[in-house]
This record gives sequence, C-alpha cells and structure tokens, in this order.
Amino acid sequence: MKKLLVLSGAAVLAMSMAVCAESAGDVNGDGIIKVGYISKNLTDPFHGPINAHAEETFDQLVADGVIDEWTGVLDGQTMADVQINAANDCITLGCDYVFIAPCEAEASDPAVTQMADAGIKVVVFNSMTTSTEEVAWVFSGSDDVYAGTLLGQWVLDNCPDGGKYIHCNGILGNSAQIQRTEGMHSVMDEHEEFEMVADEDTQWSGEKAATAAENALAQYGEELVAIICDNDDMSSAAQSACNAQGRNDVICIGVDGNQTPLEMVKAGELGATVLQDGVGQLQAGIDAMVADINGEPQEQEAGNIFMVPFVLVTAENVDEYLK
Amino acid sequence: MAENYILECSGISKAFGGTQALKDVELHVRAGEVLALLGENGAGKSTLMKAVIGLHQPDSGTMTFEGKPYSAHSPVDAMKAGIAMIHQELNPEPYLTIAESIFLNREDTNGLILNKKKTNQRAQEILDRFDFPYPATTPMSRLSLAQMQMIEIIRAVSCDARLIIMDEPTSSLDSEETEHLFATIRDLKSKGVAIIYISHRMEEIFEICDSVAVFRDGTYVGSRSMDGVTREELITMMVGRTVSNVFPKVEVPIGDVVFKAENLCGDGFENISFEVHAGEMLGLTGLVGSGRSETMRAIFGLDKLKSGRMWLNGEEIRIKNPTDAIDKGICMVNEDRKNYGLCLFRSIRENISLPNLRKKQKGLLLNQKKEKEDCTSMAKLLTVKAGSIEHNAYSLSGGNQQKVVLAKWAMADPKLLILDEPTRGVDVGAKSEIHTLMCEFARQGKAIILISSELPEVMGMSDRLLIYHEGRLAGEVSRAEILKGEATQETILAKEFGQ
Amino acid sequence: MGNKSNDKILGIDRETFRNFMGKYGVSVVMVIMIIAIALYKPVFLKPANIINVITQISINAMLAFGMCLCITIGGIDLTVGAQIALVSVISAKCIVEFGMPIILGAIIGIAVATVFGALNGFLIARFNMFPFVVTLSMQLVIRGAAQVISGGKAITVGNDVKNIYYGKFLGVAIPIWLTIIVFVIMYIMFHWTKLGRYILAVGGNAHAAVASGIKEFNIRLICHTISGFLAGIGAIIMLAKTGSGQSNLGVGYETDAVAAAVIGGTSFAGGIATMPGVMIGIFIIGFIYNGINMIGINANWQSIIRGLVIIGTVMLDSAINGKSRK
Repeated sequence: MKKLLVLSGAAVLAMSMAVCAESAGDVNGDGIIKVGYISKNLTDPFHGPINAHAEETFDQLVADGVIDEWTGVLDGQTMADVQINAANDCITLGCDYVFIAPCEAEASDPAVTQMADAGIKVVVFNSMTTSTEEVAWVFSGSDDVYAGTLLGQWVLDNCPDGGKYIHCNGILGNSAQIQRTEGMHSVMDEHEEFEMVADEDTQWSGEKAATAAENALAQYGEELVAIICDNDDMSSAAQSACNAQGRNDVICIGVDGNQTPLEMVKAGELGATVLQDGVGQLQAGIDAMVADINGEPQEQEAGNIFMVPFVLVTAENVDEYLK
Repeated sequence: MAENYILECSGISKAFGGTQALKDVELHVRAGEVLALLGENGAGKSTLMKAVIGLHQPDSGTMTFEGKPYSAHSPVDAMKAGIAMIHQELNPEPYLTIAESIFLNREDTNGLILNKKKTNQRAQEILDRFDFPYPATTPMSRLSLAQMQMIEIIRAVSCDARLIIMDEPTSSLDSEETEHLFATIRDLKSKGVAIIYISHRMEEIFEICDSVAVFRDGTYVGSRSMDGVTREELITMMVGRTVSNVFPKVEVPIGDVVFKAENLCGDGFENISFEVHAGEMLGLTGLVGSGRSETMRAIFGLDKLKSGRMWLNGEEIRIKNPTDAIDKGICMVNEDRKNYGLCLFRSIRENISLPNLRKKQKGLLLNQKKEKEDCTSMAKLLTVKAGSIEHNAYSLSGGNQQKVVLAKWAMADPKLLILDEPTRGVDVGAKSEIHTLMCEFARQGKAIILISSELPEVMGMSDRLLIYHEGRLAGEVSRAEILKGEATQETILAKEFGQ
Repeated sequence: MGNKSNDKILGIDRETFRNFMGKYGVSVVMVIMIIAIALYKPVFLKPANIINVITQISINAMLAFGMCLCITIGGIDLTVGAQIALVSVISAKCIVEFGMPIILGAIIGIAVATVFGALNGFLIARFNMFPFVVTLSMQLVIRGAAQVISGGKAITVGNDVKNIYYGKFLGVAIPIWLTIIVFVIMYIMFHWTKLGRYILAVGGNAHAAVASGIKEFNIRLICHTISGFLAGIGAIIMLAKTGSGQSNLGVGYETDAVAAAVIGGTSFAGGIATMPGVMIGIFIIGFIYNGINMIGINANWQSIIRGLVIIGTVMLDSAINGKSRK
C-alpha cells in the first residue's frame, strides 16, 4: 500500500514535470506560470487606466489558462525603494514574468536588475531605467524625445509668426521630463522667431502650471503666444487659466492624453494634446509574453524594444481616444 | 427615623478584580447635616462616594435618595437627581469665564447661538448671593484655588443640588480661606443642603461636622454624633488601634550650621535670612502664597533667585538648577507630588533611583543588580507598601507615593532636606510613619526644613519655627516656647496675618 | 482603591502581569499576524522571504528607533523622511562628483543629518516650541536643501555603494547587520544606562525629572540628535538600495516610523517605551507591506488595509494588556 502511494506520487510528479517541461512560459521551472505586476502608483490619473487594464487582462489570461497566477497590482507608491521591495517579493513568490512601470530612471533600476539576475523575464513598460536595455527581457514604451518634437511642431504649425513662449517642466531629473524637453528644444531652437521667456519648475502639477501661466500673462500680455508643457495635466490647467482671461489664442500643449485634456479638446477649449498610449504600452508587453508562452517566434525590434507611437489628438480624432 | 434621611445606602459591595473594596457598607445622611467620612486611605470612602455619584456601579446593595430608589450611571445622572461632588483636585478650564464655567453644558442659547449676556446675568445673580468678589466675566485662570473651589460649590448649588460631597476641600486652602469655606458650608446647611465632608484633618471635622461615619478596610465601622465623641475614640475606630502620640517627635542633639541663607530675594519673597543646623528641624509656616514654598523652590534651583547668598557647611554655593542643588547635597520634596515628585507611570524602582543613577554606574552601564537591591532595601526601610518595586508608582496610595519620594531623597543622602507639605493628602497611619522618618533623618544629622499648612504639624515637629508674612519673615518661635505654652496656634496665626 | 497588588491573573500578580504584557503583548500580535499570513500563503514563511523582510525593514528601523526617542520625550520628529533625501544627495555628491571614498561620503552625509537633528532639538528645547511645528517646518528646509544641492537631478552611485545594501558580511546582508547593531546599542542605551532612564523620566514627567536633577534641555537635544544620526544611517541604506541620491526619496517615511514606534508600545503621552517593542513594531510594519504583496490584495484597497491593520494591532495589543494607550 505504502509503496503504491509512493509510486503513484512519483508518477504524478514525473507527469507534472513533463508537462512543465513542455511549457515555454514556466521560466523558473516550478510547474506554474506566474506573472508579477509592479505599478508605478495607484493614484496618478495616467496610471489608473493602465492598472485597470492590467487587472482585466491578467484575470482573463488566468481564466483562459494561458498563465496560472498573477500577483495582483502591487503598489509602487511612486517610491523607488518600495518598487525594489515589491521586486524582491515577486522573486520570493516565484514569478516567471514581471511587468514593471519604473517610477525613477536611476533609483528603480535595482528592481529591474535584481529580478533579471533571479532569472525572471522582466517587462519594463512606460519608462526606462538605466540598465533596462541590457537586462530587461522586453521594454515597451514610447519615445519621449519624439513626443517633445510633436509639442514643438504643433506650436510652429499654429503660430507661424512666432513670439514668446514659456515651458513648464515635469519634476526635474525625471526621464520623461528630460527627453520631452530635449525633443521640444530640438524643434523650437531652430526657429529664431520664438523666444523662451521662462522655464518653470512646475513639477508635473497643473496647479503650478496655471500659476505660471497667470504670471506670464501678466508679464508679457499679448506677446505670449504659447505654453509648452511636459504633461497635459499642466497644459490643460494652463489653457484654462488663459481662457479665463479671454486669451483662448494662447497655444497650450502637453503630453499624456489624460481624461480632462481630452475632454477639453472635444469641447474645443484646448487645441490639441499629445497622447501617450500607456495601455498600448502595457498591451505590447503582454502580447510579447503571450507569444513567448505559446512558443511563437518574437517579432523583435532591436533589443526587444517595442515602441508605441505617440498620437497628436485634435478635435478631429479625439472621439477615438475619449472613453 | 428613616424619613429624616436624604440619602440611605445599605448593603453596598464593590469588588475590583479580586479586591473587595467595599463590603456590605451602609451610610445614612440627614437633610441639612454635615456628615464627616473618616478612614485611612483605602478604607473605602472614595469608592463609596464614587458609587453614589455614578463613577462606579456597586455589585450589590440599594440606595435611596429623598425616599426614592436611586442609582446613577454617571455624575450627570447624579447631578440631575440632586447630588454633586467637589473633587479634591479641581480641573478648571482656565480660558472659560466664571459664568461659562458655572453653566458649562447648561448654556443659555438662542437656537444654536449662545446667549452670553443671559448666561452672564444669571451667573452674576448667583455670585452676588454668595458675595463672590469677582464679576461673572472673569476668566477662571485669574482665580485662586479657593475661589475656583467656591465656583464649584456655586455651580453645584445652581444645579439645585441637595447633597454636596466635598473631598478634602481644605487641602490646598490656607486658614483664612478655610474659614470662608466653613461659613459657606454653614450657610448651605441652614438652607437644608446636606454635605458629606471627607477630610483627614481632625480639627476641621470637630469644627464643622454634625456627625461622623467611620470606615476601615472597606467596611463600615459605625457612626457617632460629634457631640461627646473624642478624637482618640475616632482614631481608634479608624485604625483599629490606639495612636497614642500624634507627633512622634524625637529630640536629637543639634549640631553645627549646615545651611545659611542671607538676604534671599526672588519672586514672592524678600530679604530672607536664616540658618539651619545639623539634626535640626526648622519649620516654616505662613499663609498660602506668603513666600515660604517660593523661597524653598528658589534655594533648590527650580525658580530664579534674584539676589542673596547661600552657604553650605561654611562654603558659599551658587545654585542655577536642581542638578546643582542635588550635587551639593540639597534635596527637596515638592508640595506638588503629582507634578514634581514622581513619574507616575514608571516603576517604584526607577523613581527611587532617578536622582541617584550616577552612583549606580558600572562603567558606562547601570549596575542594575545593585540598583534593585538598594531600592528594595530603601523601600523596605521606608515601609512602602507595594507588591513589588517593579510596579508603577501610579498603583500606590498617596501615602505610599510620598514614601517613594522620601526614599529617593533618602538614597541621595542629602545634607539639607527640604520637605514642602510632606503629609498632604496622606492618611493618618502613613502620616505618622512619615513623621517618624523625618525624626530618623534628623538623627542621622541631616538638616531639615519643614513646610506645612497644618499648624499643629509644624508646631509638633519643629525645633524652631519661622513665620512668613507677605514674603518676609515675621517672627521666630522655639520649641521650648511652644512646649511651655508661650507660643500657641493663636499667637502664631496672628503673626501670619501680620498682627 | 484597595490593595490592587493582590489581584492575580493566570496565577501571576496583576502588576507583574501588566508589566510583562506591556513589554511583550505586541509580540503576541505579531505571532498571530505571521500565522494568519502563512496560513493563507505558505510561501510567506520561506526563509528567503523572511530574510527579504528583515532586509527591507532596515531603513524604517533606523527611523523608528529615533522616532521612538522623540515620541518618548513627548515630541515627534517629522524630518526623518526629508533627512533621507538630503543625506542621499550629499553623500552621493561627495562620492560621485568629489571622488571621496565611500566611507567618508557616508560620514559627511550622516554628520549633516546629525547636525540637523541637533538643530531640531535645540529649537525645541531652547525656545520651548512644539516639536510638531519645529520638525514640520524643518522638514521643508531639509528637503529644500536637498533640492538645491541636487538641482532636482538624480545622482547615480556605483555598485560599490550599492553593496552596502546588496552585499553580505559573514553570509548575512549588511542592512541586517546594521539593524542588529543599532538595535543592540539602542537597547543598551535605553534600558541599561542612566541616559535611557533620564529620557523616560523627562517624557513621563518633565517637572519631576528636573526636580530630580535632570537637565531637560540636554535630554531633548540628545534625543533629536540621535534621531537625526539614525535617519542619516537610514539614508545611506536607502542610497545603497536605490543606487541613486535624489531629493524625492523618503517622502512620507515618517508615517511608517511613527506607526512602528506606536505599535511597539511607545506612548504619545510620553515616558513609556521599550526598544524590543519598537523592534517588533518595525517587524509588524514590514510584515504588513510584505503580506499585502504576498496575498495579492486588490490594489485600491491596499492603503485602507494598511491603515486598518495598524489600528487593529494597537487595539488588539491594548485589549491584551487591558490598558489604554494614548
């Protein structure tokens, strides 16, 4: 009797091992495919829809039997060391794939490198950490420099005569802030008819951008033609501040495609906004993972980097993106 | 018989955990009488009173108030029924006015808005009835303790209380204020208000009370009319033994000058000069606020000394803070035990060793074994009644807390020990033990300065008595004069009043 | 009333029982918590995960020990989160931009934090200002200084610095060593020296402490200085962990430090605290974070759960102790 039990136990073990050997997705060989998801935070309106999409998609993948388990949305709290702790927890939990939206280019990097060292296929999405290109399995994001050029181009197109403009920064040192600013300057600096009269430290905050807009209006009046912002929480707030003073002609533009700016575009209060397709970025990563689990060959861009394009949203195409 | 009683309690029992605080206790209070409750701390007086005003729920027993069955679940219930209690420690809201304080929770309103004018008016009417010297709009913080207490009484009367319980009402009053309080009590009595008067001061009980109920160890010993009962009889009832000598003064040889002060000036006192010798007990007396405690606080470094010089064992000293004083060998038992005496939520051991830790060092660390041994023997020597020295000071009775304070200074082995009201709020047994300890300190050659508001105490214990009047020394009396009857309570009081 | 000391609970003298539970009751809560999480997710008890948690709590441990001292003397130190940012920036700058040896860079950073801690203590004790107000304002100053020094940019440090967090000594991660060392020193200081006794006395009753010859000013100054010093060590661990010095590190870290101290039995009324209690509080906070990730609680509920677990822990502890905790 005892022998039989041992035998059957061994058989079950052997079978399950055979099964898992077949599954390409069981990276660590523990018999199940487990996915981790480390959010940037749970409070930012840009990341809210992405987290919701993750919840929906991963639940569906579990239901469909593509993956066995996922960790649920782990809260990164926009703090690098909290993300590092979550990464450690994912390692402990035996995750095969982990999706992470880093909150800091530098400080969140250990989260990515540690998971990669533990043999996890790390999907970095939305923004890069310093060693993402070397150690991450996939990066899916968007080119913020390109987004910056879209900002500049929109101002050039709508304001051919030139004039004075101000720039509202994100939190300084953040990679999106650095790259969007770089892209913006690469366009604007070639046009001498434009003069940047202020470079504001507005820290991604709409309220601070609105204050900056009011100050600039007071100081430069009619000479002010545009307000270029690193995100569209700021551009929409700045536009509202201008509109309130009857200066609907000031061109305000920013990046992200959050709900409020999109609605303002639809209502005709805001000329345009540059949409960053966060959900698309996550989905590109998920697609890569599902293909990997199914053993399909990867359609790779260089170094497993997927670039999801930014879209200029104006009154013409706003309905496609407004939910 | 029963129809005369305004409050009757019978068969009241109350246990806390395993301790039977009240065992089948009874109490009868007549309308319009002042009934004294007597008993040592822990005898059950406070527990019974708390049961009456609804702070405790008795486990068994019945109460009737004005002939009707009575029970209270909170002081508010008791107040509604007509019973109020004036607590020993008043907790006034210093930023309220007198009127607001009297009518707290019963404010006049127009809808949701307070009608201050009407409240003030009503308060003023009552204050006038009591000849209170301040207008109703005065903030409470301007009042003296005695006046705050008067406001409490006025508040009780304004709520139509027919029974007022007073817990140690004179403990922080001077003689004049006490007289004023007694006048008020007599006035209330004449209006038919019954008063339960809790006090440790026998003289007062004989002066103001009509009858007395005595408690011991949670049981009711019996009641007596004040006519015809003697002090000795009451003490015997209270302690179950005869306390023969109220003040166990032992006279010891008086040595050299230990401490000398010359022309000390500070807030509340001026030009104070005196000497105190080894083995001598120097009593200081005077009305509250006459500068006696203030002088001692300044000598100990708690308050600032404006000018004056001090010598200890012939060497001139300067004291900037209590640390200096303790280093030099001057220690002080503060009159305010709760604020200056103890860390109530720390253990007895930690409290005793607090000023003495420097002597308990082993390298950088504390010698905890030695600390424990020393504190245990010190606590035993001073008969601190506690299960263990690891218990919080909070769990002790007032008398035992005071012994802990004495223990910590005894361990510091000072040259000069200042005792400011060392027996305030302490029961008779502990009081006598503390007096014995003081004599023991004197025998060891320490110089002792004793402050007490109880004239019999300073007169009974001191070798020499200095009398304060309005911040200056107004006279000196020797023990010989007291023993010979040349100086009496009356003559000393007269000097305190500046006559 | 009565002889309270005669009461018995479980055959133990009541006061003794109370003292015992006051010291160790919260560890019962921790054990309950461990069992609950482990029943739900056995992987929680894997040695790798436990080591993980112990490593993760090291930063909060540094802050919480200092916080405990400040709360014990009846105050609070809200600057610890900002201290992390400032020290990480200063040390990173010294090491990376000025090429100093790591140890020197770390010492300079910790020294700055210590000075700011002493400044907090000085302002509180000398001018008798509310600790809440002083540290709330100083927190802005300190984080502002971090922004000025860093120019808002991240300063990346190399692997040699990261080894302070990720490296091992005798097979045990360095942050764990640091936590153990600091705990032992704090334990000895708090429970075996007169300084600890003086801190408890000043917190329990400042008047009585002064009247017993204790210099209140010195004690307040020392507590805040220690808190600053420990925050500096926490900052170096943070710098090593994230590999980057920047001004937005450590935002809101004072919350977890306060929570750990309070869970560990530190009374906001002052004068009551034990170091083992705080250590357990630190563990409980660590287990809350780790347990939520292990169990996979719905994202939007996590913050609520964290708050409720902290309140529940304190309530359960006071129920076990039969005492009120303020």
